[in-house]
Amino acid sequence: MVVRVRKRNTLSLSLAIAADSEEILNTGLDMETLSICVRLCEQGINPEALSSVIKELRKATEALKVRQFMKNMQSFCCCCCCF
Amino acid sequence: MAAQPPRWSPLEQEQDRDVRALIRRLTGLREAQGGEVPGGRFQTALIFAWSNFRFHRFLDVSSHKVERTIEGIYEKLIVHSDLSKAASWKRLIEKFLNSPLPSTEETKTDAHYAILSLLLCLSDSPSNTNYVEKPRDKEVEKEEEFDWGKYLREGEEIDFGPDIDTPDWSEESEEEEDAQQPLSREDSGIQVDRTPQEEQDHNKKTVSQVTWKVGEPDARSWLEQHVVPQYWTGRALRFSHSLHLHSNLAAVWDQHLYSSDPLYMPEERTLVTETQVIRETLWLLSGVKKLFIFQLNEGKVTVRNDIIVTHLTQNCLRSVLEQIAAYGQVVFRLQKFIDEVMGHSSESVIPGTISTPKKTTEPPFRTYQAFMWALYKYFISFKEELTEIEKCIINKDKTVTLSIVVDKLSPRLAQLKVLHKVFSTGVAEVPQVPPDTRNVVRASHLLNTLYKAILEYDNVGEASEQTVSLLFSLWVETVRPYLQTVDEWIVHGNLFDPAKEFIIQRNKNVPVNHRDFWYATYTLYSVSEKMENEEKMSDNASASSGSDQAPSSRQHTMVSFLKPVLKQIIMAGKSMQLLKNLQSKDDYPRQAASRDAERKSLYTLFLESVQSRLRHGEESVPDIITEQQATKQSLIKMQSIAERHLELDDVHDPLLAINFARLYLEQSDFHETFTGGDVCVDRSSESVTCQTFELTLRSCLYPHIDKQYLECCGNLMQTLKKDYRLVEYLQAMRNFFLLEAGDTMYDFYTSIFDKIREKETWQNVSFLNVQLQEAVGQRYPEDSSRLSISFESVDIAKKKLPVHTLDGLTLSYKVPWPVDIVISLECQKIYNQVFLLLLQIKWAKYSLDVLRFDELVNATEKPQLKEGPQLEQETVPQFGSQTEFIKQQIHRMFLLRVKLMHFVNSLHNYIMTRILHSTGLEFQHQVEEAKDLDQLIKIHYRYLSTIHDRCLLREKVSFVKEAIMKVLNLVLMFADRWQAGLGAWRMESIEKMESDFKNCHMFLVTVINKAVCRGSFPHLESLAVSLMAGMEQS
Repeated sequence: MVVRVRKRNTLSLSLAIAADSEEILNTGLDMETLSICVRLCEQGINPEALSSVIKELRKATEALKVRQFMKNMQSFCCCCCCF
Repeated sequence: MAAQPPRWSPLEQEQDRDVRALIRRLTGLREAQGGEVPGGRFQTALIFAWSNFRFHRFLDVSSHKVERTIEGIYEKLIVHSDLSKAASWKRLIEKFLNSPLPSTEETKTDAHYAILSLLLCLSDSPSNTNYVEKPRDKEVEKEEEFDWGKYLREGEEIDFGPDIDTPDWSEESEEEEDAQQPLSREDSGIQVDRTPQEEQDHNKKTVSQVTWKVGEPDARSWLEQHVVPQYWTGRALRFSHSLHLHSNLAAVWDQHLYSSDPLYMPEERTLVTETQVIRETLWLLSGVKKLFIFQLNEGKVTVRNDIIVTHLTQNCLRSVLEQIAAYGQVVFRLQKFIDEVMGHSSESVIPGTISTPKKTTEPPFRTYQAFMWALYKYFISFKEELTEIEKCIINKDKTVTLSIVVDKLSPRLAQLKVLHKVFSTGVAEVPQVPPDTRNVVRASHLLNTLYKAILEYDNVGEASEQTVSLLFSLWVETVRPYLQTVDEWIVHGNLFDPAKEFIIQRNKNVPVNHRDFWYATYTLYSVSEKMENEEKMSDNASASSGSDQAPSSRQHTMVSFLKPVLKQIIMAGKSMQLLKNLQSKDDYPRQAASRDAERKSLYTLFLESVQSRLRHGEESVPDIITEQQATKQSLIKMQSIAERHLELDDVHDPLLAINFARLYLEQSDFHETFTGGDVCVDRSSESVTCQTFELTLRSCLYPHIDKQYLECCGNLMQTLKKDYRLVEYLQAMRNFFLLEAGDTMYDFYTSIFDKIREKETWQNVSFLNVQLQEAVGQRYPEDSSRLSISFESVDIAKKKLPVHTLDGLTLSYKVPWPVDIVISLECQKIYNQVFLLLLQIKWAKYSLDVLRFDELVNATEKPQLKEGPQLEQETVPQFGSQTEFIKQQIHRMFLLRVKLMHFVNSLHNYIMTRILHSTGLEFQHQVEEAKDLDQLIKIHYRYLSTIHDRCLLREKVSFVKEAIMKVLNLVLMFADRWQAGLGAWRMESIEKMESDFKNCHMFLVTVINKAVCRGSFPHLESLAVSLMAGMEQS
């Protein structure tokens, strides 16, 4: 039990510190994502590769969202026209 | 790849899980349930991610590279003046690298660097974010919120009784990190250090903590009951304690009173423990104002009446506490002074000194600030000691009782007493003075008080070593502004004293390049303590001497420690200012700047000397922090200090702060003095105290001032002599006024004498000037433009005597600045008096010299020839006797002439050689050796007054001069008659002249002989001898 608690503490501590540094660096990662990243790094994933993936995925999501939005707008306009 | 192949290891499976989770978090896409849809967005993303992870071209993480980048960011933040951010960045990184990761126990592993590298790759302009570091503990607490609750309740009934024994985790967490301290401490029953005025926010905190932690509604009351008994609320519990007789003395005594005194009424009292009393005592001494046991009413600290401890009677406790309260009051008073000088206090003014409300607006002058700073430093160390004791109490390691505390603090309390004494005489009881000199009086009064106190205690010897060293350190701090002012003045010639606290002040209306500069520029304020008022000793006093003129009854009339060197300071200051002005046209500033960079200030020199003196005998001399050692780190430290100070004034400007820090760092001693460290005098460790304080000063302070004095006065003399030809001007004065340039002046005065002889008008100014220019221009062309002569007609009554014909002739020499400081107009007046006397003598001599024997003989023959035929018949019988008579007359005139010549020549020789020449030689000698301008001026004055005296021009010996004038007059009349011819002569007039001359001669010889016999005027001897010689012959 004690060990578990302790482990939990250290985890939270290192994470919290990482989160703080992350806040300074303005990386835009939330706590959950950060903890996943930490785990991945620990498992030996190359951090630069990881960062490039994160960036790419962010970009793609952004683009996807824009496309979605445009589509919605179009259909909205179409509806307006129909009326 | 999309599917999860069965051959994957558990690690890879975990990785895959994490990657999927990551994609879900980042994209918000959902994994298709049930089956894989190849080409679905999630799958595409997953494939993309995996392919990137597996087939990338990046190098492995290099810890050096990461550290370099981190350092880069740190520097970037520093450059952007985000110092707090920079500091927390550094700290966070440090902390992160040193804390284990979830699955790695070690620190500073590759994983750490990998995570950092990831963050760095993702970072986006760190300098643009507004980051404020949050206290870590909160997060940790949140983390624990559910965890602890669950854990604590696990398998047991909720019972937060007072006996709850915190299990091992409390120690565990406590040793692990500080962040948890507040929580664990309260749980483990250790009292939290809390002063009553902090109570409120503590309560807030407590409430929130309790609700998180326990979730019970009456948690607060639980805390109140079990953590700190709130004795200050008045509803303290009568807690139980030992029933031993010793610990119930108060009750026993009460019982006794109750039984013995029928009128005794037990009062309602608040029971406190001794620990509480001790802690309140410590708080009181550290300057806390709101206390329970001690109360502050209008600046007076009183002890609460209804306090009782179980093991002491009330009176006993009270008497102890009242002693402490007295010291508490001292602390308050000093603290108040500190606050006021710092400008923190909203209340007005310094106790005692205050009469006008205006004072609150003007900032305290630097001496007070320095004194305040010294006090402040003392209090810092005092508070450290108090905190030490309080820690002792908190830790409960040792027995701490009230008497132990008082005993332990007794040296400090004695020091406080001394401080208070000094403060109340030095600051509070300042004599009332007119407003414009208030600061001078106050500053010098304070310094004097400290100085006198040191001397007083110093005399006691070893018994008061501690006190002396305390006072000495105070004094050293307080004297700093004064020494800086002195330094600035004697090194740069600039008396910078905006608050007018220095004893010498510049009179604004006199420009430097004015002849009055030397005399009238500075005012020395001398504060007489006995009379309790100040008097101005103006100009001359300050110029000539500060110390000689003060009567002995006003011993401490000015800042006493400067008294022995006051003259040097004044001389050096004035010389420096003059010198600076003289050299300002040259390349002086550049030289000065380069020299100034290497120069140590007077104060630093003084400190160093004191340090080396105090450590005399000890071998190890601690390194003095030099500028080279002022690294970036200390810059940051300094910056934070500066920032803190700025924040007191509501200024939040990191750039300003960092610049301040840089500025302060330049002064090598700043770090030591400003951070409150004990620098200048190592109070604790001095093996040699400042025995004989005055000796210390003499060996540590005065030599530096003396050195500077010699240097700049020497420079000034050098400059004046070399660049401004002072010596040449002095020579010129002697040449023309004292007729040392004999041939030149001979040409000048003989032309005048000739005119007078021929009875022509000579008083014409243009004629005089032309003659002068002609005479001087030939041999001294450069002086001819400066010399001019004028004639003022004097009253006619005097003019009757021919000797006074020349009166009113005034020679003037235009002396350029700055030499006119030495050769002033007053000096020229004296020169002129001597000049006139010399002219008179020369005239007499000249008119006797030009007489010719044949003139007289011719004159006698002519009337004989003319009158001969008529007289022949009548006076034939008498003719022989007539001729005899005339011959006799002529002979007598010859004799008289020679006597007169002898007299005049004796006088002339005496004055020209015995007086002017020899005194002049002495003077030249002294001028060469003069150390400062003041001395030079004095030498010149002395020289002038000497020749003035010896030329018998003094009022006191005017009768001698009159006799001489009479003789000279006689000479002139004689010469006049001689030229007029024998016809103008009567036997009686010759006889009268002879007898007049004889009388005067006789008189002079007697008087001068008397003076010579007395030995008071050795120089007169030659004159006396030569005149005597004349006498005997007659």
